[in-house]
Amino acid sequence: MLKTTQFHRYHSEHAKLTEFAGYEMPLWYTTTTDEHLAVRNSSGIFDVSHMGRFMVRGEPAATFLERLVPTQVQKQPIGKAFYTLLLSDQAGIIDDLVILRLKEIEFMLVVNAANAGTDMDHIKSCGPPEGVKIEDFTGSSAMVAVQGPKAQQALQPFTDLNLGQLKKFRCSETYVMHQRSIISRTGYTGEDGFEVIILGASNGEPGKAIEFWDRLVTISKPCGLGARDSLRLEAGLSLHGMDIDQQTNPLQADLAWVLSPDKSGYVGYKAVSDLRAKPPDAVKRGVIVEQGIPRHDFDVLSGTDPVGKVTSGTFSPILHKGIALCRLKPEGTEPGASVRVAIRGSAQEAQTVKPPFYDERLYGWKRQGNGN
Amino acid sequence: MKLQGYDIPDDLLYTKEHEWAREVGPSVRVGITDYAAKTLNDVVYVAPSKVSDKVVQFKSMGTVESIKAVSELYSPLSGTVTKVNTELDLHPELVNKSPYTEGWLVEVKATNFTSDRERLLDARRYAAHLDALLKK
Repeated sequence: MLKTTQFHRYHSEHAKLTEFAGYEMPLWYTTTTDEHLAVRNSSGIFDVSHMGRFMVRGEPAATFLERLVPTQVQKQPIGKAFYTLLLSDQAGIIDDLVILRLKEIEFMLVVNAANAGTDMDHIKSCGPPEGVKIEDFTGSSAMVAVQGPKAQQALQPFTDLNLGQLKKFRCSETYVMHQRSIISRTGYTGEDGFEVIILGASNGEPGKAIEFWDRLVTISKPCGLGARDSLRLEAGLSLHGMDIDQQTNPLQADLAWVLSPDKSGYVGYKAVSDLRAKPPDAVKRGVIVEQGIPRHDFDVLSGTDPVGKVTSGTFSPILHKGIALCRLKPEGTEPGASVRVAIRGSAQEAQTVKPPFYDERLYGWKRQGNGN
Repeated sequence: MKLQGYDIPDDLLYTKEHEWAREVGPSVRVGITDYAAKTLNDVVYVAPSKVSDKVVQFKSMGTVESIKAVSELYSPLSGTVTKVNTELDLHPELVNKSPYTEGWLVEVKATNFTSDRERLLDARRYAAHLDALLKK
């Protein structure tokens, strides 16, 4: 029996549904292309209530999390939303996540739906000290991502929080339709946008969550998992389970920036310092293909030599070309290099690039005219 | 006829894999059904067999892709590809807009269509096949 979110009734009436991480979720409402372009050009909303949300609080919460992730935690100001990783002792990526520092001693961890169980087990196995309380908020809250250059206009009517004052990678406790919520200026599309966690909104007692969704869809385009995937890929953002996994280390995934250089003693630190001592054997590259659509696990060639694999690929509605994130040998695949992707028996011409795949002057949150 | 919103023209022949075939002069024109197109959602890339390729009934003859998925094409008949719908290179969305007309994929010169057609479904039988599939 698949799990459902608070907005399932809307999805079942308006979307093509799909199974994802044990949930029945919307794949698309109109078309993936249509929804993708709405987010790049205007705004779109995503039900991301399936994502895992763990509240970690208590006096020693910050020091515990400091041991858990490779990013500085205690130095993060209250109201910061930061991307980081859960690493294994071997520096494999157990999951990637965003941590919201809500208070001095209160943190919300937002993790991938497919890994929520594994993450919780891992966190508990790291021995949270007396005084740290870890609570799963996934079922008792709803989560909606509002993304795109017009996300702020779309969301502002629902909250008293001045969204113009909320900077990128910041979060705030607030009210949405008079219901306790957390809003962060974060997302997974490359665009400006927000993620809204509505607290006290379970499937049985959704509070104002459903009314919030039903009103939001009249001003912003509902988007399914299809567009969520094509948008994150076009932005060059890795997906755990496809581009990164426990067999991948942060250096191979272009995530070295997550590892605070002045930090030690976290889970995986020993393996990370060993890896840092030598050049990486593989790196993350973007690839744009002339013809065809690259997909997960396709071979990438330089001349006739295999140099790595596609980790995830799709068709870019902005470039009108096949694009892919790949894990390649570093040498000879530097951005701008000509490579080939083996697409069902024929080697297609391709070029490596540094993601994102779109022109950042025209798309994405750094685009011109965006005050952030 | 129409089944749950899916068009199924009466004058075509169908495969269970949701391709259609229509005799056009000496050739047989091939495409995917409205159901197949709608299931793919938004066709963004079409890579059927090329002109002069040999195709075999019910064997793969290329792919149709949406943003998210790749769908294999199965030839409704055996023969040689004589024409490819090059309009689809720039406008693959025609497969969604008009799967039975402008969105056709290839034309095939049949080796023996008289016997091949015996193994295809008429509109009524394809509708029954689809109906059973949708009830699953």
